[in-house]
Amino acid sequence: MKITFVRKVKADGTDCQKCQDVIDQMAKHDQLKHLDRFVTADERDETSEGFMLAAKYNVTRAPFFVVEYDDGSHKIYTVYLKFVKEVLEEQTDKKAELQDTLNSMSEDLDFI
Amino acid sequence: MSNLNVQQLALEYDNASPRKILELALENIDNIAISFSGAEDVVLIDIARKVRKDIKVFSLDTGRLHPETYQYMEAVRKHYGIDIEVMTPDQELLQPFVKEKGLFSFFEDGHQECCGVRKIEPLKRKLATLDGWITGQRKDQSPTRSNVPVIQNDHTFSGPGKELIKFNPLSNWTSEQVWDYIRMFDVPYNKLHEQGYTSIGCQPCTRPVLPNQHEREGRWWWEEATHKECGLHAANIDSKK
Repeated sequence: MKITFVRKVKADGTDCQKCQDVIDQMAKHDQLKHLDRFVTADERDETSEGFMLAAKYNVTRAPFFVVEYDDGSHKIYTVYLKFVKEVLEEQTDKKAELQDTLNSMSEDLDFI
Repeated sequence: MSNLNVQQLALEYDNASPRKILELALENIDNIAISFSGAEDVVLIDIARKVRKDIKVFSLDTGRLHPETYQYMEAVRKHYGIDIEVMTPDQELLQPFVKEKGLFSFFEDGHQECCGVRKIEPLKRKLATLDGWITGQRKDQSPTRSNVPVIQNDHTFSGPGKELIKFNPLSNWTSEQVWDYIRMFDVPYNKLHEQGYTSIGCQPCTRPVLPNQHEREGRWWWEEATHKECGLHAANIDSKK
């Protein structure tokens, strides 16, 4: 299994706050060791690898994880705690996971 | 359908009619359901029934809907002779939340936590069982939806080890087209629409809008619109260069 983490750098060169929050959380829980690659979607460069991966996998939010399995399949995770639970197989707080899900949604909630 | 196919189909079907998109969805994915919000997305049910009789429909009962919406759901159930799977909040999450925060916490600290417990968790639970779902999202509903594709991979709600495909057959329709359809085919609609409600959600968080006000102004109006800084759209690049 190979895990790629894609974070965004904003047009002014600063890190996307949410991406930084996820990195901080991963560092706090000693999870960074599971990541094989860090890739950047740089708003100053629309051809940056992160943007290419976002286009390839049809992802519209950062950060996200690309998990490539040994059988050639892959799965995209846009919710950090979902990734933690399903890929790292660590316990997560249900309420925190819901909050994380909400924060990662690109649409409003009034269509459901 | 592979990831690649979904993207190709999204392009191929971008100008297709809602019926064609529903045919694609219902004829290719068995384990698929329509998400019915109790508003004008009833159009999806009406069209889908013409494609396949055994459609699956689910709805989220947050416990805070208008009485008119409950009556409407029942009317839809009887009109089409369908089962509507009504998903309710997990009591183990809801009861401590209400005990700690009360019944109107969203006016003080935002709607996110309440929506998380009352909407997201039941939705997540339901979608984890499906391979595809169908929503009534439209591009004209809000600026954040201007890029809603007709078909997309849903990375947020897919279950463990599963792919989930989301279809938005009404994506390119306008509100006017939806209402033309409702009138033309005598489709039942929520009576709240007659009172000026456009976007219909939970009773405390929804209000009617005035003429020419955007429908989104009828939802969570006490909160400031937040800038979604983590979007990865080409538009972000262009606007910030």
